[in-house]
Amino acid sequence: MSDALLSTPVALAGAGLAAVLIGVAGHKIKKNDDSSLVPLMGVMGAFVFAAQMVNFSIPGTGSSGHIVGGVLLAALLGPWAGFLTLASVLIIQCLIFSDGGLMALGWNIINMGAMTTLIAYPLIYKPIARASTKPWRLAAASVAACVAGLELGAVMVTVETWLSGITALPFLGFLGLMSAIHLAIGLGEGIATSAVLVFVAKSRPDLLVPASAAVHSGKKGVKKAVIWFAVAALVVAGGLSFLASSDPDGLEWSIGRLTGGVELETAGNAIAEGAENIRQTTALMPDYESSFSGVVGAVMVVALVWAVCSVITSRRKKVTVKDEQA
Amino acid sequence: MSRLEKAVIAVKSSSTGDGCGSCDVRCRILVTVCYLCMMLSVAPADLARLILFALYPVLACAIDGVSYGRLFLRSCIVLPFVVLIGIFNPFYERTTIFTIAGVDISLGWITFTSIVVRGLLSMQALMILVGRHGFTAFCRGLRSLGIPRFLSTQLEFLHRYLGVLLMEALTMRRAREARGYGGNGLTLKSWGEFAGQLFIRTVGRAERINRAMLARGFNGSMPSWRGNEQSWRLSDTLMLIICCSAFVLLRFVNP
Repeated sequence: MSDALLSTPVALAGAGLAAVLIGVAGHKIKKNDDSSLVPLMGVMGAFVFAAQMVNFSIPGTGSSGHIVGGVLLAALLGPWAGFLTLASVLIIQCLIFSDGGLMALGWNIINMGAMTTLIAYPLIYKPIARASTKPWRLAAASVAACVAGLELGAVMVTVETWLSGITALPFLGFLGLMSAIHLAIGLGEGIATSAVLVFVAKSRPDLLVPASAAVHSGKKGVKKAVIWFAVAALVVAGGLSFLASSDPDGLEWSIGRLTGGVELETAGNAIAEGAENIRQTTALMPDYESSFSGVVGAVMVVALVWAVCSVITSRRKKVTVKDEQA
Repeated sequence: MSRLEKAVIAVKSSSTGDGCGSCDVRCRILVTVCYLCMMLSVAPADLARLILFALYPVLACAIDGVSYGRLFLRSCIVLPFVVLIGIFNPFYERTTIFTIAGVDISLGWITFTSIVVRGLLSMQALMILVGRHGFTAFCRGLRSLGIPRFLSTQLEFLHRYLGVLLMEALTMRRAREARGYGGNGLTLKSWGEFAGQLFIRTVGRAERINRAMLARGFNGSMPSWRGNEQSWRLSDTLMLIICCSAFVLLRFVNP
């Protein structure tokens, strides 16, 4: 998800929801009271990051792919620790590698982190894999959980985009496109995740057992979390659809109540008329409609400021170089 | 240069930033959040207002003494995704808004351009924020703004060991390439073994780190850092007020 496709209320709702989930994850880890988990989570995040940078070739397509790592982290650390680790990876990817955007970060954490570690892992991976280290079980659980997690993420992206109302793509068309793409990505992710888990099960099976039972929340805890998450999502979605409506926003509504119209009108006086005459005479493109003139005007203002700033910056650099030489 | 090598360089250069940060990192974080909130709330059809929001990255670059052109080019990384999603707008929104030299410009093209501009501006704001101060200062700024200690500790750990593990992965990949007789690309099976091997090395490293930290009195969170910490000054307060007022004016007042 990118900042460009989100409206402010939707972005803030995502940030709030992600903050709540991160808070819950932190609380669960604190309750666990295992100091070895903190460095393990940090280094595991770095491992997923490093693994993401090494692409594998996709047979028959000539292209390559890499993992996201949600199910992998949940299988190795437990759902809440896995979620927090993946959230940190996404924060670093956003800040250092400029993936997504700061306002889209909340939803990216939910779409990629919560959907895989808090939904797909406990509800799909765990019932299939159980405590077994048999390769076929691990492979089936990984593929099913990754496909489900990524598909859920794709649905969430579609809903968030639709609620924001920035793109004109019809909801069902966008959903179909996203689901198809993420089905293929999920299959690749699942096979890659199972390849790592099978290797770990052969070499160090003890590592597949989570670090602590408290972080690996029980069936009841997970169910509770899923219910809370669903309720929160419904509340947020309901609230957002109201906010994303075509009605005026708060300030516009207030102005409308006060003046009878959404925009403030200029009072007709001699000064305003004079200013309008000057504008008409000096306008570069008086024949074009105001929206186009506005765009060109805005571009010119930014270009002018940029030019002035560039001159100042280059002069400052020259002065600094001279000072250094002196 | 491979993605792995680029990532190693990016992580190494991100820890301290370029040192051009002219204000407190907390002030910059608050200004950036206000900027993004105001900029992203502009209606997609209001392209002129959106373009005026480009004044912030241009002026911020000038104040910090860095080139806006370079920042602009770097922010183009966001283009493939936003163009892919936005390109459908001209097909669905066909109402003509204005005509230039006989060519009708539809609402779809305006909103498409608007999506691209939003993507570029949000990326530039983010790059200004992190690029100037560096990731370590950014984490400390977040902590003093009240984010939970466990999250900032986790982020600092992750960032610190990212460089180490990326180097480990790079070494393993080079060793494989040297023995691969020109064979390029990892198959899924060999990738699984590669990543599994990296994981086992990672766990070994995490265990060593944990023992070393426990020996030095680690209690679950990083100690506070006091050396050379920049304090909040009057100029930061003024900058925050001026910038936020300017963004609110840009958003709500018709030029």
